[in-house]
Amino acid sequence: MTQPAASITFTFNDEKVSAVPGQTIAAALFSANQKVLRKTRMGGEDRSIFCGIGICWDCVVTVNGISNQRACIIEVVDSMVVQS
Amino acid sequence: MIAVIGAGPAGLSAAATAAERGEKVLLIDSSPRLGGQYWRHLPSNWNDDRSLHYDFSKAQALFDRVLTNPLITRHSNAHVWQAEKNDGVFTLFVVRDGVEEKVIADKVILATGAYDRSIPFPGWTLPGVMTPGAAQAMLKSHGVLVGKRVVVAGTGPFILPVAAGLADSGAEIVGLYEANNPIRWLLNLHGFILNPSKIAEALYYMKKLRKHRISIRFGKSVDSTSKGFATVNGKRVDCDVVAVGWGFVPDLSLAGILGAQLKVDGDGTVVVAVDSHQETSVPGLFAAGESTGIGGSTLSMIEGVIAAGGKGKFARWRAQVFARGLQRVYPVPTNWQAKLNDQTIICRCEEVTLGDICSSVDELGAENGRTAKLFTRAGMGLCQGRVCGRNVSEIVAAKRAEKVHDSERMGGAQRPTAGPISLGELGDGLQKKF
Repeated sequence: MTQPAASITFTFNDEKVSAVPGQTIAAALFSANQKVLRKTRMGGEDRSIFCGIGICWDCVVTVNGISNQRACIIEVVDSMVVQS
Repeated sequence: MIAVIGAGPAGLSAAATAAERGEKVLLIDSSPRLGGQYWRHLPSNWNDDRSLHYDFSKAQALFDRVLTNPLITRHSNAHVWQAEKNDGVFTLFVVRDGVEEKVIADKVILATGAYDRSIPFPGWTLPGVMTPGAAQAMLKSHGVLVGKRVVVAGTGPFILPVAAGLADSGAEIVGLYEANNPIRWLLNLHGFILNPSKIAEALYYMKKLRKHRISIRFGKSVDSTSKGFATVNGKRVDCDVVAVGWGFVPDLSLAGILGAQLKVDGDGTVVVAVDSHQETSVPGLFAAGESTGIGGSTLSMIEGVIAAGGKGKFARWRAQVFARGLQRVYPVPTNWQAKLNDQTIICRCEEVTLGDICSSVDELGAENGRTAKLFTRAGMGLCQGRVCGRNVSEIVAAKRAEKVHDSERMGGAQRPTAGPISLGELGDGLQKKF
């Protein structure tokens, strides 16, 4: 198995992150050792991926201004703007 | 036209079989690539050697049959969020790239699969705690190792390939904990005798684990997790990822929406009731694979063929005997609630704790999972109770020294929509392009 070059970039909370084409937002962020994807509304707790397949909605982020998007199933597109 | 929903082992088998029998097929799947959860694989730009898969040749053969058959149309990245049947014809409401479209079909085959069953424990919401399926999906679909020092735990055969795959890819498996005792394997001896290929598969993973010097610790499970470590039967185990899974939950949303009769399996899992042709109580609506009972990829493929009108009833019986045997070998331990404390989150979405649920029973008179949900919001969040629903019902029942009624279990699997849809998409098709 050979990993292709991480040839696209996006921003997560204004930080630049690179990704391999085809990777989901969560996969690219885990590769960059960024496991915390959001804080909860009430308790302010850190959350990350949990089910990893789009069922549990724990990994939701805001993508290009649209809230509640699942980081584990949405693939990164070059220049995407992702926020917790 | 036949609509097949889901492109895992069951859906691919159904689509290929139906098309080879001369039917026009629309194969609808929520992923970008074929294979479902079981045959998740890397994108074509990866030069994947398929070393994370056991017997990928079966998947490749099905991919080839589906991709080369001109009678099959594929909708990938497509979500069926709603469905109805009027005058003998099915209408499916499908969202693709932020646009909603209607699909009309004479026959529908549901092959919607399953997801990991989770049970709460103190610390299970921390980043780094996840299902084995999540660790597996990150690796098989994206080539990403979720951690360097990983604990894999829970019950069932699935934790073995997950641990082996992570170790093959360079993670250190600091502990592999199977909650049940290996003596229980005797409960499925007849299943193995009827399905000798399963012996070969078990040996394949055992050999991999031995190569990495990983031994399975039986009768142990994760009590709690904190940042940097897990506590397993009272002992601290340092790690950066904890993957815990307790079998699988079938995805029944569309079956419920279309009014198909559900039933409760021996272990409390809610499944779709089907006849010998895999047809549900709704004429023309068929179901194959995990939604009819957790049974693995072999059984799913056979059921897919039968749902599409093909043969295989003896093979199905044989594989069902094995699946039922596994249920007996790997029950979820009944004492899981003893590990919780009042602060433990039960509903991850709405941040509802055990204390909240207990006071809804003690002080507000909640009688079952449904009333506890109305009082506490447990199960009302974005996942719509897919993760916590069964656990909330079982907590309330235990608190009231009762058993969960089958009607409550089946009611918990019913959802008004199969997935979320924005008002913009519903109205005039919001162009949600990323």
